[in-house]
Amino acid sequence: MVSRSLNKKFDKILAREEAGNLTSKTGNRSLRKMMNNRLAVVGLILFSIILFTAVFAPLITSADPMKINLRNMSQPPSWEHWFGTDKTGRDVLARVLYGGRVSILVGLGSGIISAIIGVLIGAYTGYKGGWLDVIALRVSELFMSFPQIILVLLLVSIIGQSLINLMIIFVLTGWGGMYRMARARMLSLREEEYVQALQSFGLSTPVICYKHILPNALGPIMVNITLSTAAFILAEAGLSFLGLGVPAHIPTWGNILNVAQEIRVLQNYWWMWLPVGAIISLFVLSVNFIGDGLRDATDPSQQG
Amino acid sequence: MQAAHDIALSVKDLKTYFYTNNRCNKAINGVSFEIRKGKTLCVVGESGCGKSVTASTIMQLLPALSRIEQGQVTYHSDNGDVEIEKLERDGQEMRAIRGSEIAMIFQDPMTALNPVYTIGFQIGESLKYHTNLNSKEIRERTIDLLRDMGISLPEMRVDDYPHQFSGGMRQRAMIAMAMSCNPKILIADEPTTALDVTIQAQIFELMEKLKTEHETAIMLITHDMGVVAELADDVAVMYMGNIVEAGTVDQVLRNPVHPYTRALLDSIPVLGKGKDQIISPISGSTPDPYNRPIGCQFAPRCSYKTDVCDVMPEEVNVDKTRRVMCWNYKDLLPNGE
Amino acid sequence: MLIYIIRRVLIFIPMLLVISFLVYGALELTPGDAVSALINPEVSGRLTEAQFNELREAYGLNKSFLARYGIWLANVFQGNFGHSLAGGVPISTIFLDRLPATLELSVVALLFSTIMGCILGTFSALKRGSIADSSLTVVGMLGVSIPEFFFGLVALLIFALNLGWLPVGGRLLPGYDSIWDRAPHIIMPAMVLSLMMTAGVMRYARSSMLDALSKEFIKTARSKGLPEWRINLMHGFRVALTPVVVLIGFRLPLLIGGSVIIEQVFQWPGIGNAFIAAVRGSDYPLVMMIALFSVFSVLLASLVIDVLTALIDPRVRLN
Repeated sequence: MVSRSLNKKFDKILAREEAGNLTSKTGNRSLRKMMNNRLAVVGLILFSIILFTAVFAPLITSADPMKINLRNMSQPPSWEHWFGTDKTGRDVLARVLYGGRVSILVGLGSGIISAIIGVLIGAYTGYKGGWLDVIALRVSELFMSFPQIILVLLLVSIIGQSLINLMIIFVLTGWGGMYRMARARMLSLREEEYVQALQSFGLSTPVICYKHILPNALGPIMVNITLSTAAFILAEAGLSFLGLGVPAHIPTWGNILNVAQEIRVLQNYWWMWLPVGAIISLFVLSVNFIGDGLRDATDPSQQG
Repeated sequence: MQAAHDIALSVKDLKTYFYTNNRCNKAINGVSFEIRKGKTLCVVGESGCGKSVTASTIMQLLPALSRIEQGQVTYHSDNGDVEIEKLERDGQEMRAIRGSEIAMIFQDPMTALNPVYTIGFQIGESLKYHTNLNSKEIRERTIDLLRDMGISLPEMRVDDYPHQFSGGMRQRAMIAMAMSCNPKILIADEPTTALDVTIQAQIFELMEKLKTEHETAIMLITHDMGVVAELADDVAVMYMGNIVEAGTVDQVLRNPVHPYTRALLDSIPVLGKGKDQIISPISGSTPDPYNRPIGCQFAPRCSYKTDVCDVMPEEVNVDKTRRVMCWNYKDLLPNGE
Repeated sequence: MLIYIIRRVLIFIPMLLVISFLVYGALELTPGDAVSALINPEVSGRLTEAQFNELREAYGLNKSFLARYGIWLANVFQGNFGHSLAGGVPISTIFLDRLPATLELSVVALLFSTIMGCILGTFSALKRGSIADSSLTVVGMLGVSIPEFFFGLVALLIFALNLGWLPVGGRLLPGYDSIWDRAPHIIMPAMVLSLMMTAGVMRYARSSMLDALSKEFIKTARSKGLPEWRINLMHGFRVALTPVVVLIGFRLPLLIGGSVIIEQVFQWPGIGNAFIAAVRGSDYPLVMMIALFSVFSVLLASLVIDVLTALIDPRVRLN
C-alpha cells in the first residue's frame, strides 16, 4: 500500500516506461545532475548576474562611487539614484556595484588562495606522512582552535588594517579547513591499488600525489572553495561593518553597511543599508546553492 | 501439489516495481512459489535477480519508491489466511505479523544490528511488542534464547554491544532475535555471506535444528549452490525478476531443465572431481534492468536460443512438483521422460 | 571512561600551553611597556625611573624571555591576567563583569539552535521530498547565507524601532533582575545569534538522519514489527545524534565568534563587546587575554563534546 500521490507518480512513470519513452541517458553524469538541480541553476544564474554587474560596473552606472555631493545628501531612491544617496551624497548603487568588486575579490580570492595552499600542503603531507605531516597537522590545529573572528581581529590589531592584510589574514585563518580535507582524502586515496601500481612503476612522489591522486579529490575541493568563499564574504562584511575590515575609504559591501550602526540611519534611511545587505545575502546564497549542487553532483553515493 | 494445511506462505503472480531516478525497474515480474511448513525453500540466483526484493515484499519492507503492482502474498496463519499485500505497509496488522509470525535475518549482522544498543535490548524489543512479558521475564527469555543459540555466558553477553561480538556471534544474536517469538516463517537473506566458512556451517546447523524443533518454514536466499544442496527441500531459481525453474532439490540440482540453471551448475567446480573438471562460466553478463531484452530474459546468453525465445515464455509444469519458464526445456529433459 | 577523559585532557594541555606561549610572544612584541600591562597605570604614572627598574626586577622582567613567560603563566594561573591599558582595570575584573552576559547569550542561543535544529532537521528527513522538506531546505540555506548582523539589523528595525515590542539593546536596567525583565532583552540577540547555527544543525541533522534511516538496522527494527515512532526516534534519531553532537562541537567557535558581532549590534555588555573595544583602542593586553580565553573555551567545549559523544555512543566509549 502506497500513498495516493506516490501512486499517481508511479503510474505516470510506468506508462512512460511501457511506451518506451525512457532511455538510458548519456553525457557527463555530474554536469547533468548539476543542471537537474534547480537550486544550483538558480544559484549559478544569480552568481553570474551579481558578478557581471560588479565587474562591468562602469557600463551600468555613470556615477562615481567616491564622489561626495553635499547638495545631494541622504536622498531616497529616485530615477537618478536608483538606490538613493548616502550621508555624503554618494550614489549608493554605484557604491554597491564597485563595492562588489572588492568584496568578491576578497572572498573569492582568499577562498582560492587558501584552497591552493591548503591543498598543496595537505595533499603532499597526507601522502608522504612522517614528521612533516605531524607538524602541519599541529599547526592547523593551532589555527583552528581559535574562533575565526577572534583570530582575524587579533591579527588585524597586530598587523593593521588594509585590503592586502585582510586577505593575508583570511588565508592564514582559512587554509586549515582545506588542508584537513585534502589530507583526509589523501589518506584514504593513497591506499588504493592504482597508487601502489604507480609506486611500483617508480613514479616520483609529487607526480603521483599531484597528478594522479589529486584529481580524484577535485569534487570535494570545489565544494570547499565555494563554502570558504561564502564564509569569507560574510566575514569581510562583518569586519567592515564593525569598521575593522577593509579601510573605510574603499567601498565594500561591509563598509557600506557600516552606516547602519547608527540607529538614525537604521530607522530613517533604509536605502543606505537594506539593499546592500540583501545583495550580500543573495550572493552568499547563490554561492551556497552552487556548492550544494556541486556536492550532490560529485558525490557518487548520492542518487538523484 | 501439497495439501493446503502444509503450506505456510504462498505467493502468486507477484510483481514489485521500483520507481527510482524517474525510471521504472520491474524488479519482480510475476513470481509464484510456496513455502512449506517445516521445510526449507532456497531461492538462488545472481545478485540483482530479485531474490532479496522477494523477501522484502513478503515482509512489506520495501523502500518508499516501490510498489507491489499485482499478485497475492498469502500467509496461512493458524487463524485463517492473511493477504499480506493488502495490508497497510507499516500499519498495525502488518506490524503484528512482522517479528512474531514471519521473522527475517539479514546478510551482514554487523550493519543489521543497531550499534548503540545492547544485544539484549535489541532482542528484548521484539518480545516487548509481541508478548505480554514484563521486563524481568523479557530479560530471562533473552538470556535463554542466547543460550539456545550456543552463546556462552549469555548472562554477561546480553549486556554487550554488537561491536563486542564476533561476526558469527552477531549472526547467532540475529537469529535469536528472529526466533524470539517463535515465528512460523523465517526468511534468511544470505545469512552467511559475510561469515567465515566454519562459522557458516554452525549457523546452518542451528537453522536446521530450529526447523525440526519448531516446524518453522524457512525461506533461504543464497547464491551458493553448495548451501542449496545441503539445506534445501525445495529450490527456486531466479533470473531477472522471474523464477525460471522451481522444484525439489533433487530435481533441480540433478536434472536442471532450464538452460540458466544448467549454466549456473556448470559454472561451479565440484569438490572431489579433481582439477581437470571443465568449468564453463555463463557467457555475457546480466542485462541492464532498464534496458531489458524482449522476450525471454536469458535468451541473449542462452546456448539453446531459438526464434520463439523472442516471446516471453509461460511457466510450464513439467510434473507435479516442478515448473520451468522456457520454450525449449524439452531439449534439456533427460532421455526417456 | 575516566581514562578516556584524562587522555583527552592530556592532549588539551600542551595545545593550550603552545597557544599561551604564542599569545605571550605577541604581547611582548606589541608596543607598550610590559610593566604598564602588569600594574595599574594610575600608580605607574607616579613612579620614577628608578622605581620602574625596581619593579622590573621584582616582576622578573629583566630575565630571559622564557623565564618571563613562566612568571606570566604562573600569574595567569593565579587569576592575575594583568591590566587593561584603558582605565587600568584589572583584566580579571573585566572578565568577571562581562562573562555572565556572554555566557547567558551563548547558552540560550546554543540550546535554542540545538533543539530547533534537531527537531526541524529530523522532521525534514522524515518528510523527505515533501513541500515542507523543500521549503525547510531553502530556509536553511538562507539561514547560513544572511550575514548575522544584517539579520540583526532588520530584526532591530522591525521589532524594536517600528513595532516597539522589544528593547533596542543592552542587557537589563539596574535594579530589575527577574526573568521577565531579562527575557525581552535576550530574545532578539539570542535568536539572531542562533540563526546560523540552527540552520547548520538542521541541515546536518537532516542528512545524518537520512543516513541513519538508510541503514540496515532500520530494516531490522522494522522486521521486528516495531511501531514507526520507535524506529524513527529510538533507532534512527539516536544513531543520527552522534554526528550532530560532533558538528555542534565544531560549530561552537562560530557561535563564540558570532557573538562578537552580535553583541556589538545589540550593545550586549559581554566579552565580545569588550573585545571589539579593545581591538579598536589597541588595548593589547586585553585583546590577547580575550583571545587566549576564547581558545580556552573552545578547547574546553570540544572536550565536553568529546565526553558527550562517548556517553551517547558505546563504540567510542568502549574502545
